[in-house]
Amino acid sequence: MSGVSLNGISKHFGNVRALDDVSVEIASGELIALLGPSGCGKTTLLRSVAGLEQPTSGVIRIGGKDVSHEPPRKRPIGMVFQSYALFPNMTIRENVGFPLKVRKESSDKIRPKVEELLELVGLSSQADRYPHQVSGGQQQRGALARALAPSPEVLLLDEPLSALDALVRTRLRDEIRRIQQLVKITAIYVTHDQSEAMAIADRVAVMNHGKIEQIAEPPEIYEDPSTKFSAGFVGNRNAIELASTNGRVEFGGFVSCAAPSIGSQRVVLFFRPEDVEFMEDGSGHPAMVENKLFLGSLSRVYLLLESGGASVRLYADISSRQALRLQIGQIVNVKLQTEHARVFPVDAQ
Amino acid sequence: MVFVNKFARWTFFTAIILYVLIPMLAVLVYSFSTRWTSNILPDGYTLSHWGDSFRDERLRAALWRTLWMAGAVLIFDILLVVPAVYWQRVRNPRIRIFTELLAAIPFALPFIVIAFGILRIVGTSAPTVLFEIADVLPGFLGDRLVSIGNWLPTMLGTPWIILFGHAAIAFPFLYWAVDGSMAAANIGRLNEAAQMCGATPIQILRLVVLPNIGAGLAAGGMLVFATSFGEFALVQILAGARFENISLYSLDLLNNTTSQVEKLAVLTIVTFAILFAISIGVVYLNRGQGSRLLPGARAMGGEK
Repeated sequence: MSGVSLNGISKHFGNVRALDDVSVEIASGELIALLGPSGCGKTTLLRSVAGLEQPTSGVIRIGGKDVSHEPPRKRPIGMVFQSYALFPNMTIRENVGFPLKVRKESSDKIRPKVEELLELVGLSSQADRYPHQVSGGQQQRGALARALAPSPEVLLLDEPLSALDALVRTRLRDEIRRIQQLVKITAIYVTHDQSEAMAIADRVAVMNHGKIEQIAEPPEIYEDPSTKFSAGFVGNRNAIELASTNGRVEFGGFVSCAAPSIGSQRVVLFFRPEDVEFMEDGSGHPAMVENKLFLGSLSRVYLLLESGGASVRLYADISSRQALRLQIGQIVNVKLQTEHARVFPVDAQ
Repeated sequence: MVFVNKFARWTFFTAIILYVLIPMLAVLVYSFSTRWTSNILPDGYTLSHWGDSFRDERLRAALWRTLWMAGAVLIFDILLVVPAVYWQRVRNPRIRIFTELLAAIPFALPFIVIAFGILRIVGTSAPTVLFEIADVLPGFLGDRLVSIGNWLPTMLGTPWIILFGHAAIAFPFLYWAVDGSMAAANIGRLNEAAQMCGATPIQILRLVVLPNIGAGLAAGGMLVFATSFGEFALVQILAGARFENISLYSLDLLNNTTSQVEKLAVLTIVTFAILFAISIGVVYLNRGQGSRLLPGARAMGGEK
């Protein structure tokens, strides 16, 4: 019974609305990722839960208890910062023991707990080094152990992997998830990296302009974006602007799909590059290969389509073997699989 | 080319060393000399000046008074400045303009002006203002103001006025040094981390802030100590002979018709030695801190 409930959280900095009436229920043991571009309010929301920012309005409950007006040190929360924020004057071991020390735990209780945590994050052999003597990844493991030391009910992670290089990042990401599931702690994870959010979270909350645009499990966020912003921000999507007439969006033989609720106006069609199909039988719509990019097993092919005086550019991902056969300047026939395509009015938020 | 560079460097270095050392050496030699008037070296050497100086009750008292005052000013300034800078950094950055202005005053005004200012305020202006307020504020509060107004001028001539005066003129050294250290150690972020660990503000100051600003504390503290140690104007004007410190004592030696310049040389060397020993101690205590507290100090080797 230690979920987090955020109810109507707003935070204004002068005239800027950093958070605009945000409400979320996070179940006990769930890891929720706050995903969004910089300035979307995700960090402000996290810091409000931590108590490092005081929301202008709204109620924060942890395990059913209203903590909105508690100072940070009285909230049952552990936090991991982007910059590690280990205390440079203490060894890793002393850092991990710090939350217990300030709670006046006896050293008989502190020692085994610290050992257990160091073991958990795989830092036992580095424990007597100072933060500057270990790598960034190891510092962040130390910071994670420190955050877990007082057995908090909630773990907050503020872009914990942003300062690390790519290889360490994926490994530590998986490790954070493993540890979070092992200790069954409710966690809020802030990131601007969508693949990180998808990989680690039970649910992803896509944030923009201080609001939660969509909150859902990763596959749903990926396959079924509910707003124009999430469609554009999450996943690797083409976005092409077209006209919609009588509730249908069409572009030659390339695409024809319904957009019933929209009527007649300019729309944006979002679709993923793997949904562009290359037709061998002459059906579909002619497109010119403008460029191709080798990405490993896949290649990205840039295409130019023309129809009725209008032209659009898009890219498609196909197997590299298939792409080998394509020449730049060659005309191919393509068709869009519209099952995962999404249409939003141009002026939608 | 390399040789010329090296030669130039050593010449320059030696010149600087001589420039700094020769006056000190001359004073040192003088303190051991019997008579040094006509030759490039003294006519003879003796330990008697040192012996005389340390048998001199008045000198010992002045030295002791100066030392404890400098120590007291240092402690007072640390207690005053560290929490204030911490508060300014983590809670209310808007007080910065105010604190920086205060910290500029001792550099902008000559100490003698500050000394007369304190004399005027404590001696007459503040009591007058307090009495006037007390007139319109009868009752308990008015009585309190009157007693404060009566008490203020009695501070003149006591060590207290020297303590507060020195603390006021010396604190900027500590302020700038501590502020710089806190910036370098990213105290704002460490403070948040410590709060999330459950630490109280006092615990944060003691366990996180103080250990991480050691370098600034030592460097600034050293300057505070030295400022009070060698200060003359405030002591002369606010206490005079009632608080004879090393500076007043030295002046008296110089003014004396039987001028005991050798004793002054001894005193100069002793003062220098004390401050030098403290600086060595500061450097020693801070060894290794530079690299440890470097922002973004990173490890050798990646994650294995």
